[in-house]
Amino acid sequence: MGNKFYTPDGFTDLLPGLCAYKRGLENKLRALYSLHGYDEIETPGVEYCDIYTQSGFVGEEELYKFTDSAGRLLCTRYDGTIPAVRFIAGRNETFPVRISYIENMYRAGKMGGGKQSGFTQGGIELMGAKGAKSDAEVLAIAIKSALEIGVTDLQISLGQVEFFAGLKRQMNLSDEAAEDIREAIKRRDNVTIDKQDISPEDKETLLAMTEMSGTYDVLDYFLPRVKDEGAKKALTELKEILDILEKYDFLKYINIDMGLIGSEQYYTGMIFKGYTYEVGFPIISGGRYDEVSKAFGKDISSVGFSISLTLALTALMRQDKLKTEPVASVICGGDYEAASSACEALRAQGTPAVLDTTGLSEDELNAYAEAKGIETVMYLNGGEA
Amino acid sequence: MLTIALSKGRLADQTLDLMEKAGYDVTAAREKSRKLILEDGKSGLRFILAKPSDVPTYVDLGAADIGVVGKDTLLEEGRQLYEVIDLGFGKCRMCVAGPASLKDKLDDIPNKRVGTKYPNITRNYFEGVKKESVEIIKLNGSVELAPLTGLAEVIVDIVESGRTLYENGLEPLETVAEISARLVVNRVSMKMKEDEIRPMITSLRQALAEGEANT
Repeated sequence: MGNKFYTPDGFTDLLPGLCAYKRGLENKLRALYSLHGYDEIETPGVEYCDIYTQSGFVGEEELYKFTDSAGRLLCTRYDGTIPAVRFIAGRNETFPVRISYIENMYRAGKMGGGKQSGFTQGGIELMGAKGAKSDAEVLAIAIKSALEIGVTDLQISLGQVEFFAGLKRQMNLSDEAAEDIREAIKRRDNVTIDKQDISPEDKETLLAMTEMSGTYDVLDYFLPRVKDEGAKKALTELKEILDILEKYDFLKYINIDMGLIGSEQYYTGMIFKGYTYEVGFPIISGGRYDEVSKAFGKDISSVGFSISLTLALTALMRQDKLKTEPVASVICGGDYEAASSACEALRAQGTPAVLDTTGLSEDELNAYAEAKGIETVMYLNGGEA
Repeated sequence: MLTIALSKGRLADQTLDLMEKAGYDVTAAREKSRKLILEDGKSGLRFILAKPSDVPTYVDLGAADIGVVGKDTLLEEGRQLYEVIDLGFGKCRMCVAGPASLKDKLDDIPNKRVGTKYPNITRNYFEGVKKESVEIIKLNGSVELAPLTGLAEVIVDIVESGRTLYENGLEPLETVAEISARLVVNRVSMKMKEDEIRPMITSLRQALAEGEANT
């Protein structure tokens, strides 16, 4: 069996100091979400496996599974969105509904080497709301989330999955060819696209999907090239989102990336990822997912995003933007009665204070304070002090 | 500063040749030494020399922005990377190989045992493409021994000239994939360091096209 001192592979403890810092970030996100009218919910963290696997949202091998006393298959929470949809779909709501969460997620089967299996995400879901204005609200809050917790070197890639679906119709691609091209675009693999049996203009359009980045210029490039109504609508909706984000002065963080194509059964409209320096994975992920609620027998157009606090913490640490401080700044020792009332007096003023309950001598107390990084030592001699 | 992970060996030399042709100063990386990190302050490039199968790991996790590695390694490691250029060199085939007597009879053997250094590629090929279950025996070298000693019926391995196979009475039976060296890019670096990476991709593509035109 495993060693008593170690956490399972893919999981880590959060150290004192760092934990307090992370709680601080959580509180900032919580305040931000509620400022925008998003109600926080807490899901149990254990779900029926079905809610993830029924429509292929998540592969079976990526879930930590166990059974309940009736032998039903359970799993730990994989993401915030699916339990949120389950929760809302099961209620009689007045839409739109705005909910938020800050929870731990558990993902099995991921490749090792720095990718955590357990991590914390904060996120919001705007449910029962269609259109670019709803998309833009979620995207703006995503950007605010990153800025709020100190991730200021931020790049957001923004795409639209309906665009490629439209091109597939326009170019008369077979399902098989479309799947090859989709995979190639995801990998930015121009070789495979080049080999496709399609017209030179179509090839140029697809290659541009893997290469172009910018804002309005990218949309202007593609607009005359599309005839399919769905693809056109995708572009005009992105333009509307850009118009709204410009008012927030957030355009500087945005890059239109038409090569951003999510898994088809999940995302149905705009889609975005957020990146920063010093972590190799996106820290923000979001988009529109109108079809997910259908797996729960409802039809709720929704859009949402999540930010990984665990990755953000790593990024901040590597960017030298993170400073942790010991919780207590004063330690009182010596005469127990005197030290105890001194501590209470300090706490009453809001100064965190530690009371020595083990009867340390003055030297021991000083050594202890130094080891713990506590600035001020108060050694009290009972009545004499 | 861009960090480039190279696969130790011939692939690294060919990559540096191409980069030189594309106008990059790679003298620092040419230095014959046992250093594993070779930095060139002037050109803003840092090279790391890694075992080929580790290159996708360095790039996926962001320890390197760019990597050059064979398609075989990419298929085996299955990481999410941008695969932006087929560099054309390091060409070979991933094959199912075995005794010549098995030619066109491969499908007749049920529950084949397959010896290979590439268990993931092998599984994807037999289960995904051929829709059959096989028993995979992971080996670390001299894979040709497996069918000769009766450890396995066939092997899945890289075939360049095929000489080792023929000399041991084996033949390529089926092609699993065409292999060549690829330039891969970390997904975050592509966004955060686009100003450095895009021009590099463009000039490498140009150098490749010129090379093809000359031959």
